[in-house]
Amino acid sequence: MSDNKKHKDWGTSYGEMVWHEFAKSKFTLLWLGFIVVLFVVAVFAPFFANDKPFFIKIDGHLRWPLFGALTASDYSIFLAAFITLIQLLLILRNKRKVDPSIRSGVLWRQIFVSISIIIIGTILFFIFIPKRLDATDYKSMIENGKATNALFAPVPYGYGRTDLKVREQAPNRQHWLGTDDVGSDVLCRVIHGSRISLSVGFVAVGISSIIGIIIGAILGYSGGKTDFVGMRLVEIMMAVPVFFLIITIVAFFPRSLFNIMLIIGLTTWTEDARFVRAEFLKLRRQDFVQAAISLGLPLRSILFRHMLPNAIAPVLVNATFGIAGAIFIEAALSFLGFGVAPPAPSWGQILSLGVSTTGRFLWWLTLFPGLAIFFTVLAYNIVGESLRDAIDPRLREAR
Amino acid sequence: MTTYIIRRLFLMIPTLLGITLMVFAISRAAPGDPVGLSQGMGGMMDAQRAADVRAARNRLYGLDKPVYIQYATWLGRVARLDFGDSIKHHRPVIDLIKERLPITLILNLISFVIIYAVSIPMGILSAVGRKKFLDKASSVMLLMLWSLPSMWVGQMLIGYLCGPPYNLFPPAGLSSNDAEQYPFFQWLADRLMHLVLPVFCLTYAGFAYLTKLVRAGMLDNLRADYVRTARAKGLSNWSVIFHHAFRNSVIPVITIMATLLPAMFGGSVIIERIFSVSGMGLLAFESVTTRDYNVVMGVATIAGFLNLIGLLLADISYAIADPRISFESTE
Repeated sequence: MSDNKKHKDWGTSYGEMVWHEFAKSKFTLLWLGFIVVLFVVAVFAPFFANDKPFFIKIDGHLRWPLFGALTASDYSIFLAAFITLIQLLLILRNKRKVDPSIRSGVLWRQIFVSISIIIIGTILFFIFIPKRLDATDYKSMIENGKATNALFAPVPYGYGRTDLKVREQAPNRQHWLGTDDVGSDVLCRVIHGSRISLSVGFVAVGISSIIGIIIGAILGYSGGKTDFVGMRLVEIMMAVPVFFLIITIVAFFPRSLFNIMLIIGLTTWTEDARFVRAEFLKLRRQDFVQAAISLGLPLRSILFRHMLPNAIAPVLVNATFGIAGAIFIEAALSFLGFGVAPPAPSWGQILSLGVSTTGRFLWWLTLFPGLAIFFTVLAYNIVGESLRDAIDPRLREAR
Repeated sequence: MTTYIIRRLFLMIPTLLGITLMVFAISRAAPGDPVGLSQGMGGMMDAQRAADVRAARNRLYGLDKPVYIQYATWLGRVARLDFGDSIKHHRPVIDLIKERLPITLILNLISFVIIYAVSIPMGILSAVGRKKFLDKASSVMLLMLWSLPSMWVGQMLIGYLCGPPYNLFPPAGLSSNDAEQYPFFQWLADRLMHLVLPVFCLTYAGFAYLTKLVRAGMLDNLRADYVRTARAKGLSNWSVIFHHAFRNSVIPVITIMATLLPAMFGGSVIIERIFSVSGMGLLAFESVTTRDYNVVMGVATIAGFLNLIGLLLADISYAIADPRISFESTE
């Protein structure tokens, strides 16, 4: 507590307490670090695995093909990662600079601005960055001596590049994790696949958390008849086996990454709704909520400014497990062939190639994408578990 | 008891309506229309004739009526378990489901029993020996099991155990081709060998889930005052654990059936696909791949219905296990 004397001593916030408890275990921090590494790999995937060189000298001119070939979605991902980083730093800054009484309001405003920037930026990128198809084979240019001084990414293959000469090769010096049925490099596809997994995880959970929070908040706050009818509807949602529901929807709707995110998000919100409702039912009788109501604050403010911060903890824990679950579902869908269409790289899709059409078992197409799914899901589950233990004081003493 | 069950059955009706409405809504909200799909591109016809054919087809399938009438008609047929014909198999959907359902049910029931049979003792042991080696080892192990993707495990098992070097297990199906002619014990052995891998893949995630739950419940109860009282009375450790603590922690274990069942149903789609077991899951998979919409809708409805029955069973066993719940009370 004495570590920042310059600022006012506002005591330890709830978030700090949870973080302190969370960071006690080195094991958990290790897995959190793993998630951070995964993020870096996913965000900068084109710099790790790309068939275009960073720079290359052709006829004496220095060119930058890799940067020229970045697509609108690449730029959107960079922007989203950058804004998220800034937002995290801002949260740390708020802790020291902003008075606790207005901190949550400031935080909401910041998050709103961040999300708006990401969305607007993404739209602008998709409008203004033209689709460029750079099919130049830079590697053969080097071999032919047409070009010199090239610097390639560590994995010099494109995820969509097919090369039937090297199809279904076991790991070797050129292809560290082997090649798939059309001769694409597996390591490259695993690296790019992390983008799909993580984006599905986060967007799907974002959607489901928002739906769950809104529905749970309304039901829990209003109680009575609305609550009763609403809960019956939630029960109906819960009575349908989620995976069956998802593949039913997949059967009828076109398959795209966005649809898959949306479908997973729209079918998995029931847990969140139940948690939030239960918390709100307890909270709405408490004095500070009654005070907020009697002050005549708008409903939006009562629900999300005053009540939600007290009920957000279980949602956060559930979100962490939800990310693991969504990654799992996406992998399963892609494995069954209902996911994003190739050549878009997805771990589940690579896994599904592990048994070739002739029935041969190709171990490298099974082992590596499976390990990727396993470690990612495990990391989120371990972090979620520790977060839950850190948040729940009852569990804390039980351990 | 009977009134309780009957009341629960009545409460199921709105849920059932909701499920059918959801399935129907999904099928109608989808882009593209079934008539256009069944007509194909139809390049040979002139526009007038194509429109006539389309209108005739629409009338034939009742698609010219308002949506709510279409839903009512469909619901009426669903009530008679008539889901129409499969486009691919040219047979009534319900016949297909009747054929496939028992296989999935057997697979899931066996897995279910095994999950409970293994998890409960594991959870108790782990809670009793808290912070000891077994407990610590098992909690990390369980989290790992929980995170293992079943499609990966299944494919690895097939690849390494069913292949030429070991040939331990048959890779596909639930029985050998000529199993019908086997004498009983050989038939049984054959069946069991086929079941080992799929059942393993269906169960391991459940172990992780349920064992943690049993452990948590046991820990709560072992610290409770009545357990201290029981120990103070001089009861044996065994009696304290099983007669006092365990009986009180059994309730969440029963309620979790409601979560476990749908998860297993979903899981069987993947497992049946990997091991080529022709059950409901594989039927769902095939119908989605071939866009056999009648089958998709039928399977989804039946799966929802079965799930409801599972929930009902969970509720009933809950009421039996917990004497505080009286059968007469509402909700």
